[in-house]
Amino acid sequence: MAKKFDIKALKKTDWKKVAKDFWYGKPHGERRIGDLYIEKTGLYKHREWRGVKDTMYYFYAVWLYNYAMMVADIMKFGGIVPFAKGVWRYRWVGQTYLPVIHWYDRGLQGLRGEALRASPWHYRGMTSTTIKQFMRFFTSDTRLNGGKQNEHYKTNIAHKETVWGGIFYPWAGELTNLPLEMIPYFVTCHVNSHTVQNYIDAVQSIGLPGDPCPMCQAEAGLFVLDDVPDYAPAFITCNEACDASVASTVLQDWLFDKPLYALPMPMQFDDPLVHKHVMKEIEGAWKFIEEQYGIPFSYEKLVEKLKKQNELMEFEWEKWEVAAKTSYYPINGVAQALYRIYYSQYGDWEVWHECDAKVRKVLEKCVSKKINTFPNTRHRVIAWSCAPLYFSDWPTWAYNCWGLNVVINMDSLMFDMKIRTDSYENTLADMATYHMWAPMRRMAVGGMQHIFELWEYMEKFNCDMVAMYDQLQCKGMQGVHGLFEDEFRKRNVNAFWMPHALPDSRTVTRAELRRMINDYMTTVMHEEPLDPSLLDFDDSMIW
Amino acid sequence: MKKCKCGKILGKLLGITLLANVVLFIVFFFDLDGKLLYYVVEPFLKKHYDNMERKDVLKESGYDVFKYEKAPYDM
Repeated sequence: MAKKFDIKALKKTDWKKVAKDFWYGKPHGERRIGDLYIEKTGLYKHREWRGVKDTMYYFYAVWLYNYAMMVADIMKFGGIVPFAKGVWRYRWVGQTYLPVIHWYDRGLQGLRGEALRASPWHYRGMTSTTIKQFMRFFTSDTRLNGGKQNEHYKTNIAHKETVWGGIFYPWAGELTNLPLEMIPYFVTCHVNSHTVQNYIDAVQSIGLPGDPCPMCQAEAGLFVLDDVPDYAPAFITCNEACDASVASTVLQDWLFDKPLYALPMPMQFDDPLVHKHVMKEIEGAWKFIEEQYGIPFSYEKLVEKLKKQNELMEFEWEKWEVAAKTSYYPINGVAQALYRIYYSQYGDWEVWHECDAKVRKVLEKCVSKKINTFPNTRHRVIAWSCAPLYFSDWPTWAYNCWGLNVVINMDSLMFDMKIRTDSYENTLADMATYHMWAPMRRMAVGGMQHIFELWEYMEKFNCDMVAMYDQLQCKGMQGVHGLFEDEFRKRNVNAFWMPHALPDSRTVTRAELRRMINDYMTTVMHEEPLDPSLLDFDDSMIW
Repeated sequence: MKKCKCGKILGKLLGITLLANVVLFIVFFFDLDGKLLYYVVEPFLKKHYDNMERKDVLKESGYDVFKYEKAPYDM
């Protein structure tokens, strides 16, 4: 039945307030963002009205600008034909990357002012780098190019996504390193969580039990479904994150069947002899590349690129200084986390510098004008351990719903170092350390000293709460669950657990994760939500 | 006369730009891009991917897992 027009209610309307809300956007406590969703899908009945200025900024400078830049990037890195061929051939690109703007929406929801000016630049950097990589896949892929091994193919080198891109700096401009799983697996989980389920199910369908790390399952599943481009003559692997990764590499070796060099991370940490061994193994990788491609190693190129990467680290430290000591930091939790892990793992690339220059301007403005960028912060949160990839935007939800401001996270902190470039020995030594401090390694299975760096960083970043991730299929971190429980009690630290199965949104759903945080905030913290419409809603079919 | 013609062209351009902005804003605000991708493009592509003929990699990988006659741990 149609709703009756209520003239009395209309008369009672405070038009001044309506006009103010239209112009400036509703204040945080009145937004009811959850009401914008279409049930189950996570689509919007309409996108959020943030006031005239911020809505127009989001429309022009985020939505429209990024659509336009995506087209520009596709044209720049190969054109529409290879893109269309790739979309038609590979599920991980067609199903995942077309709705990429919704990934922006989820992460940037509720942002206003300078936070809305800075955070989207991080998304822009990641999107451009993703396009660059999948376009290189498509322009090189023998399957899309009539079986030919073209120039792109011959100058690509494949590697596991957990091998740091810096290993290939000595051949900058001559060889292109393309991580095998970063685009077909890792980034897809954040953008469209459904895609990866095909690959997990595929590898289980040939007999793999369901309990190993789902990351390694998915990486192997890509091969089982024959969904990996044939784009390079040689391959560098590693054992990261763990023995499950060794197993997936064995499958990859069978199915990729290319000359291979294994560059493992040691399971022992902080041991000078092991460190020396890793240095030798990196040199072995360099020798392998020289042999396979016939292009000599260049220390000058290595130093040049490392200096550029050090610039990124220096700016990261400046950002952290602001995040730790002030309330003027304009980057939200998800943008901080994803951008940092992406560039520190992928390695130096010009778009990171362009984005950092834009962010620097906003950051300097916030500091000089003392702009409180997240004014409804109730708790400053540090997120520890490995995050749920399918719900990496949970900090956005947590701030909008509860005022939980995730200031920093473990993945941002693991490569907390610059690399010396004053001599070959020092460079190699630092590169070995960087290689060993890999994702899911240093602070996840790198020994108690590193796992408990949490307390040090918690103090450094002035955090009063811990979001403790609990990757249910990571046997390493499962082993220290109880130790964290003990320490939280002993130190009287506010902490909530977030169990998850890394990429697989079916094991612990987003709604279940939200419910756990809601329960903690109401029963332990005795707090009221800032936006009750976000407490419980059905987004079970969301991307 | 010339001025008048230029004015008309400018007016038309302005009109088209304005109209394009209004249309794009409607697409943006009502999430029509998301709805198109969710309800039309993705199901179509998924159907295509689900029905694609794929190599049975276990049978046709070309890699002989038994190419080493005797593994070192084989007693």
